[in-house]
Amino acid sequence: MAHPQAIEVAGLTKRFGATLAVDGLSFSAGAGRIVGFLGPNGAGKTTTLRALLGLIAPTAGRATIEGQAYGALEQPAATVGALLDGGLFHPGRSGRNHLRAIALAAAIPPARADELLDLVELRGAADRRAGGYSLGMRQRLGLAAALLGDPRVLVLDEPANGLDPQGIRWLRDFLRSLAAEGRAVLVSSHVLAEVAQTADDVVVINHGRSIVQAPLQELMARRGGGARVAGPDASRLAELLRADGADVRPGEHGSIVVTDRSGEQIGRVIAANGIVISELAPSGQSLEEVYFELTGGGEGGPS
Amino acid sequence: MMQIVRSEAFKLRTTRTFLGITLSALALVLLISIAGAAAGTYHAGERPLRDLLGIGSLAQLFALVLGILAVSTEFRHGTITPSLLAVPSRARLVAGKVVAYGIAGLVLGLIAFALSAAIVSAILSARAIDNGAAVSEVAKIVVGGTLAATLYAILGVGLGALLRNQVGAIVGALGWIFVVESLIGIIPGLDEPVQKFGLSGLASSLTASDSGRNRLDQVPAGLLLAAYAAIFVVAGIAVLRRRDVTA
Repeated sequence: MAHPQAIEVAGLTKRFGATLAVDGLSFSAGAGRIVGFLGPNGAGKTTTLRALLGLIAPTAGRATIEGQAYGALEQPAATVGALLDGGLFHPGRSGRNHLRAIALAAAIPPARADELLDLVELRGAADRRAGGYSLGMRQRLGLAAALLGDPRVLVLDEPANGLDPQGIRWLRDFLRSLAAEGRAVLVSSHVLAEVAQTADDVVVINHGRSIVQAPLQELMARRGGGARVAGPDASRLAELLRADGADVRPGEHGSIVVTDRSGEQIGRVIAANGIVISELAPSGQSLEEVYFELTGGGEGGPS
Repeated sequence: MMQIVRSEAFKLRTTRTFLGITLSALALVLLISIAGAAAGTYHAGERPLRDLLGIGSLAQLFALVLGILAVSTEFRHGTITPSLLAVPSRARLVAGKVVAYGIAGLVLGLIAFALSAAIVSAILSARAIDNGAAVSEVAKIVVGGTLAATLYAILGVGLGALLRNQVGAIVGALGWIFVVESLIGIIPGLDEPVQKFGLSGLASSLTASDSGRNRLDQVPAGLLLAAYAAIFVVAGIAVLRRRDVTA
């Protein structure tokens, strides 16, 4: 117990009446890593996160943060920050006052609220009633609330919901910088693409049970996914892709194999940089296919 | 604990609900009591000031509604989640609300009773009507009426935590006071106890603005009303602690 994991879920089970929402789930998340918590809608992600945050009492098992139940934490706001349901607030209260109310309850200086409004780029709307915020603004206000106590652990439920492509990119960079500061970040999503370029590890669940847990790269390598690219500028392309965080391995005859980018994503990098290639071909499964295969082919339907 | 109270008081100030309820309560109380003082005809031996101050009891009902909103609004908008993340102990969160909303009820009651006492006595003396009340009697009404508003607000916090549903809790509380207690009050044999120990009877006794036969004295009425409020708060905390917060 000298160094308990930032987040540890062990044998967690939660039953709502006849429904088994979470069924003996175990996983952990360590400091400095982003863990993608994936599964279709209704897989039990939100129930798991709420149990971790002491909002739901587990039927069996436990979910702890730095070795303790949420309710036993000395300074919860300085330990964990959480975003649930896109940030929940009173529609008649301004964004700034929403943050200040939480700051008061958690003994955080009120100036910190303004600091975070700047960070999530909400300063201009800070004094407007939050009921009029767009979905993206709500998510950013929720993120600001999660960060108020400068927590070591972040628990974010579907933070990319409602964000436009620029917003998703901003979020991705933001999460990276948070993890780089040594924080543990647990981020749930039902859309694999949102976490594929950010997560270090993934935990995939369906019907409340764990299906796979592994470092993302390992999962991709194991499934042999990605694309093979050959041509005169293949090595330059490899550099550009690596700079963007992609996993690029050397292939045969000077070609490269990109394990975690789609053909289209690679094509865009090629077009944007005027690169010359002679061949771009899928090799094995894409990450998307792996995900669908693991979760039963998107049987949950659109939502 | 102080920080939770301060946060709750801040939350109360930063939506329109508190201001709306307080201003409506004051407008209603002052309008009716000023109209009564300015237009009523009073004969020797009547006690117009004491009777008109009884109108302040309306402020107590507004205080009750305000208290009910403390927890039920959090469930309605889902803000119970960020509130519990900042204050994981549900007992402490409710306790903070009890203090903050108790103070709000006290302020609401004090303004309503003190202001109407001042305005009504000024109007009556301008009309050269004997108000029929000693200063000590007026003070008892203002203090008792303010305390009743405070206890109603606290009872409301407990009831809101118990039921969580905003509309249900408000309709239930007002229905109990206006309908259920009145109906029981016309059943022979039950009329006396319900007027003596019912919620509205206790508030009237504590306010001491009338002298019905079936009335407790101010102090026992206040203690019994405080006990009711405590029971609702404890029950509200007990239910909330066992509750899964899913939104």
